[in-house]
Amino acid sequence: MSDQKPNKKPEKKPDITFFHPDLLEAPADGRAPYLKGYRCKKCGQLDFPKLSPCPSCWGEEFDVVPLSRQGKLYSFSDNFIGQAGMKTPYSFGYIDLPENLRIFAQLEGEPGSFRCDDDVELTVGPVRDNRDGVPLISYKFRKLNSR
Amino acid sequence: MKLQRKVYIAGVGETKFGRHEVDFDVLGRAAALEALRASNIDRPTMVQSAYVGNGTNGMVTGQTVLKDLGMCGHLPIINVESACSAGGMAIHLAVRDVAMGLADVAIGIGCENHTLHMAQGTAFATAMSDIETVHGAVMTGKYAMRAQRYMYETGATAEDLAMITVKNRRHATNNPYAWFKGEISVEEVVRSRVVASPLTLQQCCGIADGAGAIVVCSERMVKKLGIDKPILVAGSVVRSGPYHNRPRDITGDDITEETAAQLYEESGIGPQDVNIVELHDAFTIAELLYYECLGLCPKGEGLKFLRDGNATHGGKCVVSPRGGMLSYGHPIGASGAAQIAASVKQMRNQCPGYQVDPVPRVAMTHVTGGGLSGTEHAACTMHMLVSDW
Repeated sequence: MSDQKPNKKPEKKPDITFFHPDLLEAPADGRAPYLKGYRCKKCGQLDFPKLSPCPSCWGEEFDVVPLSRQGKLYSFSDNFIGQAGMKTPYSFGYIDLPENLRIFAQLEGEPGSFRCDDDVELTVGPVRDNRDGVPLISYKFRKLNSR
Repeated sequence: MKLQRKVYIAGVGETKFGRHEVDFDVLGRAAALEALRASNIDRPTMVQSAYVGNGTNGMVTGQTVLKDLGMCGHLPIINVESACSAGGMAIHLAVRDVAMGLADVAIGIGCENHTLHMAQGTAFATAMSDIETVHGAVMTGKYAMRAQRYMYETGATAEDLAMITVKNRRHATNNPYAWFKGEISVEEVVRSRVVASPLTLQQCCGIADGAGAIVVCSERMVKKLGIDKPILVAGSVVRSGPYHNRPRDITGDDITEETAAQLYEESGIGPQDVNIVELHDAFTIAELLYYECLGLCPKGEGLKFLRDGNATHGGKCVVSPRGGMLSYGHPIGASGAAQIAASVKQMRNQCPGYQVDPVPRVAMTHVTGGGLSGTEHAACTMHMLVSDW
């Protein structure tokens, strides 16, 4: 009989809050990433992010719809005072997609380089550090053909 | 909710706004005691219900405020949180109690201390459970996006927005309760450091501490207390923000437009009859948009309304006569209550050096609350007040 007590202290789980599979698909084979829309099978409403049940009819079954990778920058701001713990400056904006959805996202590019109604495209990159100090990777947008 | 019977404001109280060394409870208590004494209430047992608005100072804030006034035990104390709308919402609930006959005397308080508790050099964010917050959203940047789009669509300039700060600080010049006040030039506002483009520091309300309190009572009680200048609450409306993730016009504000429409309908008073307004001028752009959203001028004519001098003394409707949040700073749970306290003082001709002339007979207040993804604001609270003597 072992006199060793089992170690009851749970291992600290890493903070992997983002790169959330419900939001973003970044195929391992190198194909372009896309945001995942959710179309309610009952009433047809399309939402991003995923809302379950559907806020329109409380349906709980959805078809996943790959959303357009390009949209229009409806508005934006370059932030020089930000959230506690975030490096400044950083920029964010509202991106309107052809699917009649508006996405709030960080913008990749220099402050001062954005204009309303710019054409922008989806990209993937760090948006902040998690509580373990590791960059959280999520969706972002950048000016079209900026690379 | 249409009010079921007449509700009157008997007395009001407010602290000076700014950076305070004492916490929210001391501030709330000072405002409450001033409001109670101004209502000729001389003992704690006369109050039948209390609502205390606070955004960030923790749990059982109301009991913490009121225990030292001997007001714990005999009356329900209900704590109210809805970010920047908390103070206004606390007053709304006190009004409801009297309107529905649940109380003849009720008090609503808004109080907040940020500066003792908040890291300097950071901006307000919403809860980390919100998808926009995870991606870096802050309230300054969200209002800045409204400004960016408004300027893009209308051709308004940074100098145009700066005129709001200049006007409100001038209104506050002799107001002892205001924090930032007096002359400031358009150039100084525009050249202050950029917080969130296109908004500069002097276009953003300060992070401040303070409190306001309002005692409301029934018609019978206002006579019994011998109040010689009772203010009728002609309307009190709270709404929640419509939620969807589709494009919307952020140079308007759906929740403010809906709340205002309901307030006008329930009070029977239209925007053209309102003499003074305290609105949610947390940032310059907000006041400009709200001229239109509140119907003070037609859609698209906000800038003209401002330039023509219609939002200041001698104009159609004096907006932010106390100096607004751009002068007071914005302790989020306190502002909604302090707006009402300041408006009542204007209607009672108690504002030496910053009194609106002629003395206003109809006042309106407006606070929104909470950045929540998919909404313009999570909450909106509005009041319509009328002199009744």
